[in-house]
Formats: sequence, C-alpha cells, structure tokens
Amino acid sequence: MTVTRPRIRRIPLNAAAAVTVLVCLFPVYWMISTAFKPSRDIQSDRPRLIPYTWTLDHFRKAVEADGFGLFWRNSILVTLSAVLLALLVALAAAFAVARLQWRGRSQFMLMVFVAQMAPWESLIIPIYIISRDTDMLDRLPTLTLVYFMITLPFTIVVLRGFIATIPPELEEAAQVDGCTRAGAFRHVAFPLLAPGLMATSLFGYITAWNEFAYANFLIIKQQDNRTLPVWLSSFQNTFGTDWGATMAASTLFALPALVIFLLLQRHVTSGFAAGAVKG
Amino acid sequence: MRGVKERAASTGPLTPLAPLPPGRARPARRGLWPYVLIAPAVAGMVYLLVYPLLRAVLISLQDFGLRQLIMGEAEFVGLRNYETLLGDPRFWEVVRRTFVFMVLCVVLILVISTLVAVMVERLGRFGRTAVLSALVLAWAMPVVAATTVFQWLFHSEFGIVNWLLTGIGFESFDRYPWFANGPAAFAILVTLIVWQSVPFAAVTLYSALTTVPAELYESARLDGATDRKIFTAITFPMIRPIFMLVLSLEVIWTFKAFVQIWVMTRGGPGDATTILPVYAVQTALSSQRYDLGSAASMVTVVLMSGVLVLYFRQMFKQEDELK
Amino acid sequence: MKFRVLAAVSALVMTTGLSACSSSGDSDGGSGGGGTTIDVWLMRDSVSAEFQAEFVKGFEAAHPDIEVKVQIQEWDGIGQKVTAALASNDAPDVIETGNTQVAQFAESGGLLDLSDRVEEMGGEDWLKGLAEPGAYEGKQYGIPYYAANRVVIYRTDLFEQAGIDAKAVKTRDQWIEATEKLDKGGNQGIYLPGQMWYALGGFIWDEGGDFATESGGTWKGALDTPEAVRGMEFYARLQALGKGPKDSDEAEPPQAEVMATGKVAQVISSPGGAKAVIENNPALKDKLGFFPIPGKTADTPGAVFTGGSDLVVPTVAGNHEAAVTFIKELTGDEWQKKLAVAMSYVPNKTTLAGAVAADPGASAMAVGAANGHATPNTPGWAAVEAENPIKDYMTAVLTGGDPRREGAKASEEITRAMNSGS
Repeated sequence: MTVTRPRIRRIPLNAAAAVTVLVCLFPVYWMISTAFKPSRDIQSDRPRLIPYTWTLDHFRKAVEADGFGLFWRNSILVTLSAVLLALLVALAAAFAVARLQWRGRSQFMLMVFVAQMAPWESLIIPIYIISRDTDMLDRLPTLTLVYFMITLPFTIVVLRGFIATIPPELEEAAQVDGCTRAGAFRHVAFPLLAPGLMATSLFGYITAWNEFAYANFLIIKQQDNRTLPVWLSSFQNTFGTDWGATMAASTLFALPALVIFLLLQRHVTSGFAAGAVKG
Repeated sequence: MRGVKERAASTGPLTPLAPLPPGRARPARRGLWPYVLIAPAVAGMVYLLVYPLLRAVLISLQDFGLRQLIMGEAEFVGLRNYETLLGDPRFWEVVRRTFVFMVLCVVLILVISTLVAVMVERLGRFGRTAVLSALVLAWAMPVVAATTVFQWLFHSEFGIVNWLLTGIGFESFDRYPWFANGPAAFAILVTLIVWQSVPFAAVTLYSALTTVPAELYESARLDGATDRKIFTAITFPMIRPIFMLVLSLEVIWTFKAFVQIWVMTRGGPGDATTILPVYAVQTALSSQRYDLGSAASMVTVVLMSGVLVLYFRQMFKQEDELK
Repeated sequence: MKFRVLAAVSALVMTTGLSACSSSGDSDGGSGGGGTTIDVWLMRDSVSAEFQAEFVKGFEAAHPDIEVKVQIQEWDGIGQKVTAALASNDAPDVIETGNTQVAQFAESGGLLDLSDRVEEMGGEDWLKGLAEPGAYEGKQYGIPYYAANRVVIYRTDLFEQAGIDAKAVKTRDQWIEATEKLDKGGNQGIYLPGQMWYALGGFIWDEGGDFATESGGTWKGALDTPEAVRGMEFYARLQALGKGPKDSDEAEPPQAEVMATGKVAQVISSPGGAKAVIENNPALKDKLGFFPIPGKTADTPGAVFTGGSDLVVPTVAGNHEAAVTFIKELTGDEWQKKLAVAMSYVPNKTTLAGAVAADPGASAMAVGAANGHATPNTPGWAAVEAENPIKDYMTAVLTGGDPRREGAKASEEITRAMNSGS
C-alpha cells in the first residue's frame, strides 16, 4: 500500500516525521550540548546551536560534587531492588489472575486498577508517621518498599496481559511430559515472557529512578542515603546559575534511562505496547 | 470482523475484569494456590497503600498541624476540615484550574499522539525507526531532568526560546520572563507535560494500529472509501479499547501531575499553576496544615474517581456484552 | 533458567540493599571512639569551609569526648526538612535556622527550652534582632548565632570615573542621581534583581509601611497601602538603572558573580558579599567600597532587615548536653569575634561590636543596623516566606503591572498564608 503511493504525496508525511523527531529530541539535545559548552558560550546573548568548543569542565564539576558516586549507587540499589521485587510479586499475582479461576478475582483486579490512582503525594505524611513509628526513617529499604508499591499495580496489569498471550496449551504439553505446574510455567512460559518483563520493568525503573518527594522527606539525618533526584535538586540550588553544571548533572542522571531505553527500544515499542494491546 | 473486535475488546489490561476467552481458561481449580500467589501483592497493598490511606483519612478528620505531627495527640474534629476546605473560594478556583489543565493536556496528548501514531504507520522502515527512537528517547528522559531542561529553554535571559522568538521578529520576547506571567507559566507546563506524555500514548496507539488486519483496509479501499472514512469506520473502532485505556491513564497521570509543577513553579506565580496535588502539598507542607492537605487529597481522589467512573462503566458494559 | 538468575540477582540486590543500610547505621553509632557524636546542621554559605574546619578542630580539641559531624543544608525547602527532623525519633543535635523561622518550630513544641542556660551564655548582651525572634511566649528556644544586614557595595574605580564621592551619598535622591550618572556607557549603575524582597522591605519601612500589620490577633497583608506602593515605586526606579533580571532574586544568578564579571557599579548585599566578588575576580580586590543604604533624609540611614540565624536544639535529639556545649562554644565571645571577622557578620552580642570596627563593610553595616527591622514575629510568617507572594508581586509590578492592584492581590495572599497556619 505504502509502496504504491506516489513519492510527492509522501513529502508532507516525511516533513511531519522530521518535525516530530526534532521536537522530541531537541530538549534532550539541548541538555547534552549545553553540558559540553564552556560557560561563556552558555551565558551569551547569541546561543549557539552547535557548540564551538567542547569542554568537560561541567561534568568534572558534577562528578566531583559531594557524594555523587554514593548517590548514584543508592539510586541504583533502591531502583533495582524495588523493580525486581515488584516483578516477582506481580508475576505471581498476574499468573493467578490470568491462569486460575478463583473467587474474588475481579475484585482483586478492580483493586489493582484503583490502586493506580493512589494519591502518592498526599500519603507522604502518613507514610512518614508510619515509618517513624516503626523506626524505618532514614533507611533505603523504606524507599524500596514505597517505590515497589508505586510500581506494583501497573506491573500487575501489564504482566497479566502478557501472560494471557501465551497459550496455556504449551504448558499443558510440558505438564504431560512430567513437569510440575510451576515447572511448566518456569520452563515454557517464562522465556516467552522475558520481553514483557523487560518492558514492564522499564516503567518501574523510570518511576523509581525519578522519585523525589519521598526520597526528600524520608531520608533526613543520614544524608549518605540520599538518592540522585534529591541530589540533583540540591545541586541545582548550589550551582543554580551554573547551567552548564546543572545540565551536566541532568545528563548524568538521565543517562542510564536513555541508554536502557535505547537498547531495549524494540521491546519498548513492540513488546510492551503490543503486549498491552493484544492482551 | 466481529470476532476480531471481540478479541481486541475482551482481553488485555484495558478490561481487567473481563473473563478469559473461552477455551483458554482452565477448568475451575479449587484450592489455596491462587490466594497464595496474590498474597504478597495483597499484603503489600494493604500495608503500604490501604493503611496509609486510612491514616490520611484519619488525619483529615483531626486537628493536625505541626504540633500534632511532632507531639502526637491530635484531636478529632469530624468534618470540620472538609467544611473549611469546601467553603474556601480559592479551593474551587484550584479545582476549576485542575480540570482546565487536565482537559487541555489530555486532549492535546491524545490528538497529537493519534496523529503521530497514524503517521508512523505510514512511514517507511527508516523513518519509522527514526521516529520511534526519538519518541523513546523523549519518553526515557527523567521527569526532574526534563523539567530542569525546560526551565533552561525558557530562561528569561539566556534561554533559547526567547532568542529564537526575538530572532524571528518578536522583539517583545527580549528577556521575556516566562515564569513570572501566569498564563505563560501555565502554557509551559502544559507543553512540558504533553511533551513527556505523547511518546507513551503514541507508541501504544501505534502498536494498536499494527494489530488492525490489513485485509480490512484493502476491502474498504476496494469499496472506494476515503482515508478519513477508513479511519472513522475501521481504524478508530478497532483501536477504541486501547484508546480508552490511554485516555484513562492520561487522565490519572495529568490529574496527579505534581513533580513537574513543584520543581518548576511551586504553583506560582500567584496561584496560576496551582492544581489540586500542588495545593494539597502546599497546604500540608508549607502552611503546616496536614489536616487540610489530607482533606484536599481525599477530595482529589473522589473527583478523579468521578472522572474515571465513565471508564469503569464502559469496562463493565463490555464484560456484560461478552456474557 | 532465566527465572533462577533473576531471583538470584534480586536476592543479591535485596541483601546488599539491607546490608548497605545497616552498615551505615553502625558507623553512625560506632565512630567517635567511645565519646559522643553530635550532628550539626548548618546552612549553605553561612560560614566558609575554612572557618567551619577551624572551629570543628578547635572544638574537638577542647572537648575530646565530643565528635562533631557537620552537614550543610540548602535554604530551599529547609522548613520541610527541619519539620521532618523535629518530628522524627532521631533528630540532629543542633540546627541553624533563620531567625524568622524559630517561632513556628517553638510553637510546635519540637524545640528544647533553653531559658535556664541564657545567663551562662551571656544572654543579656545579645542582639535584640536575634534574641527576640528566638524567644516564644517568654521562653528562649533559639540562641543568637550571627546577624547581618545589607549595605551598598560599590566599585570605587567606577565612582571615581563618574566623579562621585560615595561618602556624599546620604539621601535617596542623591543615590538615584549618582546611580543615573553611573549607568552609562556599558556600565550598570546598580545591579538590582527584581525579587530582592528584603531590599523592598527596607524601602517600605522607610515610608512607614510594613509587609503585614496586626490588629486584634489577626494579621493582614499590607502591600496595598500607599506606603508600600511608594516603597515599590522607589524600588522600580532604582531597578531600572541597571540590567538586573526582573524575574529572579539575588541568588540566581548569584549577584556576586555578576558584579565580578560585569561592569556593575553597585549591588545591595551584606558585606560578606564583597568576599565572594573578589573570590570570583581577584582583580577587584582593592576596588570595592561600602556605604549604608541611604534613607529618605540625610540624618537617618535607610531601614534594613536584620537577617541572621539562631541555633536550636530539637527535643528529640540524643545528646542535649553536648549540643548545648557546642552552642555555648560557637556563640561564645572567642569564636564570635573570629566568625565576625571571617564572614563580615555582626557578632551576636552588642559588646563584641568592637571586633569588627576596623572592617569598612562591618562599620557601614553597623550604621544601617541602627535602623534594623524584622519581619512580623509570628509563627504564620514562615508560611509567607515559603510561598513568597512578595516576589511574584515585585515581578508583576516591574513588568508593567499596576502596583495598587498587584499589591492588593499579594496582600490577600499574605493574609491567607499568615492565618492559615494553626
């Protein structure tokens, strides 16, 4: 169909595509290029679209700022453990919902869906009080638990869709061959689920990596337990006008997400969405 | 055609309540297994979501300020906080603004992402990869980083937006302080949120489009249907369920937009960008009125559910149809 | 297969997560070699890194049983941070807070009452502008740490070129006239960002107005009064004589950097700002001078906000006695003199004023301090600063808004903010 379309008619289409690419990428590009520009070029009356001279000063400043490596580690630790925990718990629940018949199934899914609407910003105070009363303030596992809960509902919803795409007959065949039910699921269905798991985890990853409010309010005295978003915002205060350093810090902060998304691009665009669509 | 539609409509996260398609479901298995499997999820939700939520409801019924947070012993005051809140004209102004903000964002997101999705489908292999990669990159940009970048783009003195606008002849944009002007700051936030949300919506809708069987298009074309006709008669009905899913998710997400606004404007200048979640946090954390802040959040939840009831009804209706 | 790997990895991550945390918990209690460790929160830039290091070293030498861990906090969002700390089970032992913020924390019951220690710390000589906001309902919670108020820092070379004698600038009219002369040929007469609301406060106090007034126990915003409108008009006149951005405050960009790099004849700043200018551009070392902000008439200096910090001890902190020892030392005469000299601050006691007499910045500051004012001393004021409608108001007026109408709007917000607190 597209092949037979006359070339001329494709010009507006391609132009629209070019504009889309431009609009999507410009802020990302501007962040990265600002990070590489010398300060005098940043604060000039005539911004340059392409840096004349390149410098690593801003990155040096960002990396050398207090505790950068530590906060990176904290962020990665908290994010990974929250996402993995959410995947495990969601996998079990999604399997139960997609494959087993039981009373209360619809109610459970309704609850999961409603949980997506949770007003997390407003739960800060109750969660603060609860953590205080259970002596969990100032600790990274508290953040892990919160992020786990924030990402859990969405993970269940999407994984359920993925599991439903895998024909149960495959597992049944494996069971006939002598596998246990769980074994069949693990050996047959799980490999098929891998792209789905990957794509779903990206959502959780982004959410947890980004989270600011809880990290800011629940980590009080143990500043060594701060995470990157909090650091970035305090960095912005400290180097508020040093836009080069701020952009360098933002770049370093965004980098893992950008790289992972780009690497998994195929899964993100086809795997994740197709899983969600086809169910 | 009906079969296809049914398949698209009955499964997937868009209709979490729908029973599994016949033939796929196993015969009913009694036993504890399902409950064991959901137990961790339920436990998590009860302890980390329901319990804090109940505490929040309790706080909204108490006289709870800084003193009570530090010393404990809050006094129960019934619905007084809700009365204070609902009697405050500023609150209703915020509610109105929240809806304007939400509708504006959601409409823009859906229109743009549908257009982008349709466009991607028609592009060649190279163009498709390029656009999808660009979308994914924009999507992957962390919120805090994106917000910081937008602040920089619209910086009054060295921002590139002012430079470009001045460059093409709008002299009045020389050093134009975007964040000092209410409507301008509001517009920037809408732009930011749309920019951040379109990738997810467009990619999802695009995947939905790819599931529409090509034969449908061909037969419609043989019948002499125009592009527009094909879209309204075939394409849209086919992707309708996923469109509704995206719609409801975007409603939830824009209704809850907080980080972007908090980092960028703190709800200012004045109240120009204060929407409900920002209002709740402002009341709770800046004015130290945790009780009023909690009450505002509860009202937010109720309003948001109201908006989504429409969606849930649709979901239940589909379930009924299938029975 | 993959599942097993995933599970193993997650288990690994979980355990490292937990162990990482518990290890940091251990180090907290374990260090210090049997003595007490106190955590101290100081504010960004309130003392230089060198002074901090010198003091901690000196303190630990004098009190070998106490180890000090200083954490630097950002001003932005500090209210929330301190709230979270006061309400926790394990707060830092000493916290520096802005003098205007003590009232609300004292009211909440989260601060230790230090009234019975006032005498041993020499409280009778404390600066009123620090001691009074540090007290609430007759009890002393905040111990005066340091004070500063704003002066005009000017470039002596640019003044000479323009043929102006800075000593002769005594009234507002003379000030405007001089600044107009300076604002020529690529020079900025004055760099005044649009949202320096403490400076606006000075001009409003000069006119006899205030940010808010109290009657019968309720506070009401007062930016719509004729006095405030006149103060704002003067601010706008002055602001126009330079290239200060209309939509930001002195922190963004840091005005010291602007003065260091640009041809800026004057800035309004605390004298300590001059050090930052020289740090950024050593060539200006001998080219900076100070004079008090001019008043309406030659015989009274311009009104200024007495800014500064108090030190407080949270009730829930673990080591009250060590905390008080720390405060006593830092606010004691010996270190106060060193601090005042190092940072160009007004020392916390009137009796120590002599320590900085030789410093031109400090003496200009002392002239202005005679006409020092404070923001409304009520727990509700902190909410105003947190939202800061005054900044929005200033930008609105400077970008063409009607001062009366914008003032009315801002006053309403101030009223609401001040009375919304408990």
